[in-house]
Amino acid sequence: MRYRGERVVMNCFEFERVLPDYLEGEHTAEVQAHLNSCSSCSDLLADLNFISSEARLLQDSADPSPAVWNALEIQLRREGLIREAVVREAPQAGPSLADFFRRRRAVWLVPVAVALVIAGGLKLSRPTGVGDTNPVARVDAPAPATADSNSVSNLESTPVSNEDQQMLSTVAARFPSQQARYRQNLDQANSYIRDAEQSIRNDPNDVYSQELLINAYEQKQMLYDLAVNRNGEQ
Amino acid sequence: MTDANAKKTDAKKLQGDKLTEAEAIEGAKLGDGEAFQCLYNLHKRRVYSLCLRMTGNTASAEDLTQEAFLQLFRKIGTFRGESAFSTWLHRMSVNVVLMQLRKKSLPVVPLDDAMEGEEEGVVRKEPGAPDSRLAGSIDRLHLQRAVDELPPGYRTIFVLHDVEGYEHNEIAGIVGCSIGNSKSQLHKARIKLRELLRMNRAEKATTGRTGKR
Repeated sequence: MRYRGERVVMNCFEFERVLPDYLEGEHTAEVQAHLNSCSSCSDLLADLNFISSEARLLQDSADPSPAVWNALEIQLRREGLIREAVVREAPQAGPSLADFFRRRRAVWLVPVAVALVIAGGLKLSRPTGVGDTNPVARVDAPAPATADSNSVSNLESTPVSNEDQQMLSTVAARFPSQQARYRQNLDQANSYIRDAEQSIRNDPNDVYSQELLINAYEQKQMLYDLAVNRNGEQ
Repeated sequence: MTDANAKKTDAKKLQGDKLTEAEAIEGAKLGDGEAFQCLYNLHKRRVYSLCLRMTGNTASAEDLTQEAFLQLFRKIGTFRGESAFSTWLHRMSVNVVLMQLRKKSLPVVPLDDAMEGEEEGVVRKEPGAPDSRLAGSIDRLHLQRAVDELPPGYRTIFVLHDVEGYEHNEIAGIVGCSIGNSKSQLHKARIKLRELLRMNRAEKATTGRTGKR
């Protein structure tokens, strides 16, 4: 440091050495005097303060994709953290997708889902032709034995395949109060399938989307399974 | 009202996303799927943003978000409410990310001075560089990109302190370094960010000029 009369004069090098302490709140007259006389150092200080203050804007800046909860929920059920025995005491319109999953999870669903993905892949690789006009993903799942397609005709959701319609009919016949909820969850599963298929169409080597597609088919298969088994249990 | 009755009342209130956090915590302890989802929805953005800022990679951030929530939900039965749930979750998320960074052998805090040739806290002058301030010339996206470009060690400390608001003593505890080391890394991270931002601004200006010709 140089002395100018009685005052201590700080140079840039010295300022930069004490800068971290200054930013932590240790302000001294010498530092302030240097800042007043040096535009380069005052710019540096202003920039560091600016960076630090702007950083807070990055705190909640992005949302994860819906697939994260999807995979998480599957894992929670796999580990039994979401329990089948928990039934809401509050009245509700019907089962949620979560309700479906908590009740039953068959081991055989995984290979079935894989088979469905392979089938889906074949479908994707095949050009669209006559007879392939169904707007939603087709699921080669075993349809319930009982069907009453008329009973769900008043639903105002997106169109579904014949197999889906049969499943919904079964639900309508057995659990009319829960019909809308089943439909909602079916639409959700179909939506996941469509999204995953679209991603695979864009990038056939997208392993992540392939996994998502398997998960989505698993979900849908479980809806079928639950509808059929609950039907049989009653 | 006894604790048991209180819990029963809480359980009766459960209605999808209308749950309060306290109700959702109790519901999740009972294994209620929608209570888990409610907790996830309440905190997903914060946790994912943290993971994204610390890794700079969306795929890794999603994996880590899932892992953080999974660890949290596995331990939710032990949550007694002494600290805020968000604090608990946040600390767990940080640990999950740090664990992952260590697995990848990325130095969380370099033991040696990573800025070779620079003395502690000293900023090298850039001869001829414009001295205009950054304020007004960069936005959040620029800053986000620059943070993603930081070396992992600097990024971790910067995100924990300047983005997430941890104090140096907390960071020292979480990361396993000294308080002085945390302060030093933070300062270097900010200096590095300034360099990156000024460099990006200069490149942008050059591109703009070239484009106009």
